Amino acid sequence: MKKKMRILWLSAISCNGNTHSFLNYPYMETFLDDFEFIYHPVIDSKYLLQDIVSKLISCDILLIEGAISREFKRADVSIVDIIEKYSKIVQKIVTVGTCATFGGIFRESGYKNTSGLHFDQEKQIENFKYLLDKTISISGCPIHPEVLVNTLYAIKKSTTLRLDGFLRPKAFYAYTVHNGCTRNEYFEYKVDNHKFGELEGCMYYEHGCQAPFTHGSCNKILWNEVNSKTRAGLPCMGCTEPSFPRQNLFSTKKNMSIPENLPVGVSKRAYLTLAGITKAFKIDRLEKKLFDD
Amino acid sequence: MIKLIEKIEGEAKLNFNFKDDKIDFVDVEFMSTRNIENILRDKRAFDALVINPRVCGICGHAHLIATVEALESCYNNLQLSNKAKAIRELTLNFELIQNHFKWFYLTMLPFFGHKQQILKATYPTQLMGKAIAALGGQYPHTSYAVVGGVVCEITQMDIIKIESYITQTLKFVEDNLVKVDSKTLLACKDADALLDFSGDLPEILIEIKKRDMLNHAKSYDRFIAFGENSFFKKGKSLKARVSHSISLKDVKESEVPSSFAKNVSYKDKYYEVGPLARAMVNKTTLVVDAHKKYGDSLFSRILARVFEILELLNHSKKLIDKIDLDEPSYIEPEFDISKLTSSGYSAVEAARGTLIHKVELEEGIIKNYEIITPTQWNLSGGTREKPGVSQKAMVGLSDIKTAELVFKSFDVCSVCTTH
Repeated sequence: MKKKMRILWLSAISCNGNTHSFLNYPYMETFLDDFEFIYHPVIDSKYLLQDIVSKLISCDILLIEGAISREFKRADVSIVDIIEKYSKIVQKIVTVGTCATFGGIFRESGYKNTSGLHFDQEKQIENFKYLLDKTISISGCPIHPEVLVNTLYAIKKSTTLRLDGFLRPKAFYAYTVHNGCTRNEYFEYKVDNHKFGELEGCMYYEHGCQAPFTHGSCNKILWNEVNSKTRAGLPCMGCTEPSFPRQNLFSTKKNMSIPENLPVGVSKRAYLTLAGITKAFKIDRLEKKLFDD
Repeated sequence: MIKLIEKIEGEAKLNFNFKDDKIDFVDVEFMSTRNIENILRDKRAFDALVINPRVCGICGHAHLIATVEALESCYNNLQLSNKAKAIRELTLNFELIQNHFKWFYLTMLPFFGHKQQILKATYPTQLMGKAIAALGGQYPHTSYAVVGGVVCEITQMDIIKIESYITQTLKFVEDNLVKVDSKTLLACKDADALLDFSGDLPEILIEIKKRDMLNHAKSYDRFIAFGENSFFKKGKSLKARVSHSISLKDVKESEVPSSFAKNVSYKDKYYEVGPLARAMVNKTTLVVDAHKKYGDSLFSRILARVFEILELLNHSKKLIDKIDLDEPSYIEPEFDISKLTSSGYSAVEAARGTLIHKVELEEGIIKNYEIITPTQWNLSGGTREKPGVSQKAMVGLSDIKTAELVFKSFDVCSVCTTH
């Protein structure tokens, strides 16, 4: 029998959205042949949570879902103490989701000093600094199941992953959500006549779409294998980023009619030049409805 | 004796009190909360569409629909196309269905001597996730329903795709849950007839009968459902007498000193919500027959939740047929929400029962937001004299394992209960 990698899935202050997103991984049978959970919030495991907190069960990978505060307990033990205990014995720690990585929505849940494992939004924190070399961050609210599972396989194969400044695998986070969006042509030619409920138009200009400056593979590895928010007509909410959730999410913040947040790597000057050029275009095909004759 | 109940989207502590070897009271304690209602305060109205699905990873879509409907109720004369209404209802149906599959295969089956069936849980739930994503962009945690409609514009090809997910899920039901043609099952009026079929559901029902558990888990026999749409009716059922005139004004939420979960009552009485309640209010023949024979028991509760899968799949097919693609998906409200000072509320039927959202806006800013979740109804922590629905269902049992089964038969969700 082949040796399975042993995983502890620990939920901190969370909605269990990552747990359920993970259950959408399409090749679960293969995954469970290669990995086993010593504890998972939904899947049956050999050990109870009480075993996990009262003993030290051997395992290889620690997955943390949810924002972290010393005040928050599982089975009457502080989540911080559980993390400290298991972090010593595992090969790798993976922060699963934006809450565990940056604090996310539940950073505001009212527990004292709530943050991600290594980051309080963009700021690196002192706690757990000694674990930086062991950690991989999989941000997203929720995580994309393929991003998580393929990262776990990379750990199993001892592949050296190239990580960005927030410890996220570049293979998934070097892209922007904009990359692969079916509305890209509308972005390029500044066709911003988007109204909700239409196939046409780019949401960056008016509706707060953060895809051009959000790192993620949502339009490269589609959600549920079929779609993405922006393809469906919903602005990207930037859920993989430390700033999630920004405020006034469905609106594009502008200064002097220029979006405050420009696409990654584009300077204000370059943007103005490009905008000037693209305004000169009047592409009939993009002005019309897609399915018009 | 205190037992930590796990894998309920978090945990709860159940303190069992025995008298003459029978449970005579159970204290239910939820140990943590995430304060979503506080997080929403002073945020812009539309931000609630993004924050609220994060109440729960398994029924977040119901929270989205409840949010958008609560915000829409702040308007006078807001227009919504029938197409948008149908699309929202479809995605909500699909979420209910995925929840029921997970509950049955991951939570219920192991209590009856079966191994947890992960693949049987995830295969049909993934199909339903695809169906939601085809419309909403992703699942979980989309915010595709906005004030005025939905952001997606669907084509005939999307409809064909969604129909195939429904057909494939129906096939799974027929091949696994109850091995019979779905039309035959939908027409079935006799709950005992299910015991003659094969499949995962009949196996459990037979096991309940074999273990002499047919009368287990009875509670008040009072049911309520506030969510209305083209399938669910609003109303209450008292010992099978149904009345449709109920008001949200009579719903009361109150704090419990020892727990983060608040109690919910209707006219100061505890009511059960969820698929059994909906079926009783809707007068679903098969479920009403189960109730007539076995009351508001474990048998009826399990049957109702699983049967709802089939009903919702069947209804979703009809709903799709009625969609007029020429209608708009979204009608822009005449009044910008940022200028709106108003209040509103909504009630939708989520997987586990009635979900209520109330909002107060001041120039588009959320000044107050209240959420009452289905699990609060069922898990209200009452007193010995007046126990909550699930507490009453556990009284009289002689072992903790069975009490845990009864507790989990209400499809307990810790994160929802405490939000």
